Amino acid sequence: MKKNISIFLFLFLMGIGSVYAQMSADDIAGRASHMGYYQDKDGRSQAKMVITDSQGRRRERQMTILRFNISDNGDQKYYVYFDKPSDVKGMAYIVWKHLSKDDDRWLYLPALDLVRRVASSDKRSSFAGTNFLYEDVSGRSVNLDNHELLSSEGDSYMIKNTPKDADQVEFSYYQVQVDKSNFIPLKAEYYDKEGKLYRIVEAAEIKEIQGYPTIVKMIAQDLNSGSSTTAEFTDISYGIGINDSIFTERYLRNPPMQWIKG
Amino acid sequence: MFEKMVNFALRRPRVIFGITIFLTIASCLQFLKIKIDTDPENMLSEKEFVRLFHKEVKKEFSLNDYIVLGVVNEQDKDGVFNPGTLEKVYDITQAIKKIDGVVTYELMSLSNKDDIRQGGPGEVVFRWLMDKPPYTPEDALRIKIRALANPLFYNTLISQDARALCIYVPIKEKNLSYKISRAIQDILKSHQGQEQYYLAGLPLAEDAFGKEMFVQMGICAPLAILVIFLLMFWFFRNIVLVLIPILMAVDVVLLTMGLMVGLGFPIHIMSSMIPIFLLPICVLDSIHILSDFFEEYKKTHDKNKTVAHVLKTLFIPNLFTSITTIAGFFSLSFAPIPPIQIFGIFVAVGVGIAWFTTVLFIPAYVALLKEDKLKGFGLTQEELKETGFSKLLVILGRLTVRRWPVFLMATLVVVALSIYGITRIRINDNPTKWFANRHPIRQADTVLNKHFGGTYSVYFIFAAKDKDAEVFKEPAMLVYIQKLQDYLYKENQVGKSTSVADVVMKVYYELMGGNKIYYTIPVTKAAVAQCLLSFENSHKPDDLFHFVTPDYSKANLWLQLKSGDNQVMAQVKRDTEKFIKDNPPPYQVSYNWSGLTYINMVWQDKMVMGMLWNFIGSFIIVLLMMIILLRSVVAAFVSMVPLIVTVLFIYGSLGFTGKEYDMPVAVLSALTLGLAIDFSIHFVERAKTIYAVKGNWKDTSEEMFLSPYRAILRNALVVSIGFLPLFISPLVPYNTVGLFMFAIMLFASVGTLIILPAIVSMHPGVIFYEPTNRFLRSCPQCILMSLVIAIGVAYVLIAYTATPWNIATVIAVGSVGLLSALCFFVSRLRQCFFTKSDKGGVK
Repeated sequence: MKKNISIFLFLFLMGIGSVYAQMSADDIAGRASHMGYYQDKDGRSQAKMVITDSQGRRRERQMTILRFNISDNGDQKYYVYFDKPSDVKGMAYIVWKHLSKDDDRWLYLPALDLVRRVASSDKRSSFAGTNFLYEDVSGRSVNLDNHELLSSEGDSYMIKNTPKDADQVEFSYYQVQVDKSNFIPLKAEYYDKEGKLYRIVEAAEIKEIQGYPTIVKMIAQDLNSGSSTTAEFTDISYGIGINDSIFTERYLRNPPMQWIKG
Repeated sequence: MFEKMVNFALRRPRVIFGITIFLTIASCLQFLKIKIDTDPENMLSEKEFVRLFHKEVKKEFSLNDYIVLGVVNEQDKDGVFNPGTLEKVYDITQAIKKIDGVVTYELMSLSNKDDIRQGGPGEVVFRWLMDKPPYTPEDALRIKIRALANPLFYNTLISQDARALCIYVPIKEKNLSYKISRAIQDILKSHQGQEQYYLAGLPLAEDAFGKEMFVQMGICAPLAILVIFLLMFWFFRNIVLVLIPILMAVDVVLLTMGLMVGLGFPIHIMSSMIPIFLLPICVLDSIHILSDFFEEYKKTHDKNKTVAHVLKTLFIPNLFTSITTIAGFFSLSFAPIPPIQIFGIFVAVGVGIAWFTTVLFIPAYVALLKEDKLKGFGLTQEELKETGFSKLLVILGRLTVRRWPVFLMATLVVVALSIYGITRIRINDNPTKWFANRHPIRQADTVLNKHFGGTYSVYFIFAAKDKDAEVFKEPAMLVYIQKLQDYLYKENQVGKSTSVADVVMKVYYELMGGNKIYYTIPVTKAAVAQCLLSFENSHKPDDLFHFVTPDYSKANLWLQLKSGDNQVMAQVKRDTEKFIKDNPPPYQVSYNWSGLTYINMVWQDKMVMGMLWNFIGSFIIVLLMMIILLRSVVAAFVSMVPLIVTVLFIYGSLGFTGKEYDMPVAVLSALTLGLAIDFSIHFVERAKTIYAVKGNWKDTSEEMFLSPYRAILRNALVVSIGFLPLFISPLVPYNTVGLFMFAIMLFASVGTLIILPAIVSMHPGVIFYEPTNRFLRSCPQCILMSLVIAIGVAYVLIAYTATPWNIATVIAVGSVGLLSALCFFVSRLRQCFFTKSDKGGVK
């Protein structure tokens, strides 16, 4: 019996040791997801997105994004409020992100005073005409992909993510480069069903804010259409004590300005 | 000088052959750097506004020229909306995406289009229309219902009867369409079943035409040569002699095309027809010579003497016909259409080469012949008179001389009828109709345009004066565009139209819960903006910017026409402009047209007017040359009469038969001029020569009915029948050329043999009159001549100020100068010819 315990203990220690020496791909993906989307219990930022099309024509969007974690690395709620262009000022989205089922999403159009639920079984549609997708804004659930560590040389890990249900997405897999020191996802490269690279999302600038390493500039490129979108985040603050109740239909019509204006 | 040339050729035939072979090989080597250009867009200069604008529009709205793949299922009760067909469509779409040259991102197919629709209560859904093939018939029908409910899809991607659907394959370059269509056909081979597949679209028709054109050149031209050869053999019954015109024609074509390619000009749809045009002209020159040789040879049995004599007799007519033909084709260089300029200039150059070949190559060839090869060749005058053909000609000839008023009246009636016919001519062209009805491209066009809104795209572009006002987000402007669309549907030429207004209405309707009363434009600009931003949440937000620029300062109304006829395009343009005139837009906007269908209309308009202008020009120039050559204004006018009647008749019959005036027809007018005048020249020249001996018209005419008539009719028969092989071509312009060549040759020759003797019988002086009074002889002539010269010079000046200069025009002007000098020289030479000549033929 004693012998058995010691063997068990040995195996257990061996296990710990190997995890410590080399993190599993799942762990790296989980920590990267946390760094990208879950730091502190809530957060706020101003996002300015500039879309540049293949002819160099530029369009701008400006919005405030509020985030609330229901549980760490679990379900979340988002509030997106449009400031610019002026004719869409006041348009707003609420997203209830669920890990175990489809998200809930509502859209408010002030000019029509209309709230609509937007079906969100497919989160890979454009976010307000930019090259970012809804999933880039609210984060793709770690459980949806199988993760594989391709390399851990140098300062970063390279994770290959293959979707468990290939029919739900337009890519065949994507690779994410993760910074070893802080687990910030630096660059994601998406490959289409033919295996051709067609989309790149990268973190262009990272700053420490309230002690949290934070991506303050992000670029999404669509290699097929030749357009790209740069998002710059300003007025970032964490742990501001956002109330769960603002993520409801009532607050779409009456935006919670104290949080939006900061 | 001329005799020196002929004698040199007779004495040193091997030198001539050596030079000819050397030049021919040199020309053939030029073909190594052949460039081919089959794009009808190049009918317009690259700097032409409509082309620059089209390029700009394509860039601004990310539009591509496209091939349309139609999938039709007439057997399944649900049409194409059954799992089997949709799976094929899905697989085909995936496979097409991998073809090189396809703009994958913009490919339009059921399987890569995003759709907005109602979800649960109060819910809108953005979902791919068909992100994977359906498993059950119910799923397939669900896709059908959704597709039919989306104005961006129905009549464009799927037909209203659901029996057909389309895949729009955007292509990077128009000249890749044929290659891509072949690749698509390969894909289709492995997806056979209940479905029929059709490939259509203007770029494909245009590119495929270019490719098939070269195949046809390789079949039709040699076949024409073969038929001409057989006919001539039947006439002259001597292979070695009949080979002369054939060898000559082939050599002239090689030299001319070699020169053209060597100078760096691409072979365009137009210039690919040069061989077809040069062939009859070369044959015409040499048949006259052969014909005379045939009839003179028995007199001497000395081939060298006979050929020298024949060439001398025919020197003036041959030179005249060459010069007038050259002038006729050179005047094409005034056309505002670059490929036609090049075509005209090189046909003219070819005719020049043909003339030199005639006077040098033919004697050299004859000199090399062994006398015994000609044994039994030729017929004596007595033998000739016995043939049925000759008897018939004599009867016809005498009839025209005796009953000239009847023939002149008949001519006037034909002219009057023809003028009426000309007023009924329909000017129209459509590259798809360049293919015969049985051709797959033509069939695809018919089937797809029966099921869909139309495969012919036109873009109507609005541009706001105030670029910063986002005019195309304004509800009033969108309502206006929607009204224009409704109006155009009512006018029945537009099968489908799509604009930013359709996008806004569809989104608004779905956001408002799918209630029909909201199928409209919302009332405020903010509401429009918010609908559009909602649309941008879809999978392909870029689709919006095919219809409006991101700054909302320009909008594109995409019109699909069921026919690529220029007349339909012109009608749509008129309708639209009328609507805009009657209903001024609510904001200051300018508008313009773009798209291949529109470009085709523009160049055709240009060509029709250009060719008319040219024809008048050629006519004046030929008249001028006739005056100089015949030294008589009256004789010149008279010799132009059969030509005028022929042209009127040919174009009049277009009006009566309903055949449309299109590109090949327009170009053929120049050929009519060049060929029809030849007959007159031969007639007048021969008549004058005989008259100088006989001294009266009656005896002269009797002689005319023999050898000159036979030569003229032989010519006409050989060329007209020789071009019948063009009828087997599946390309309509080739059929047209064949038909016209046939009609022109027959009508011009018969016309000449009826009209000219009738006129001369009325008053022989018109061509034979030589005033004795020096003053009378020169003064009125001088005044008339200077008048015609003045008109000619004015025409040339006007034409050239309107034509942009390029290498082609420089060559043309240089050659015109050269020709004038030659003309002057010849008209003086003529005097010595008649004093020196033995005025009657070799005894």
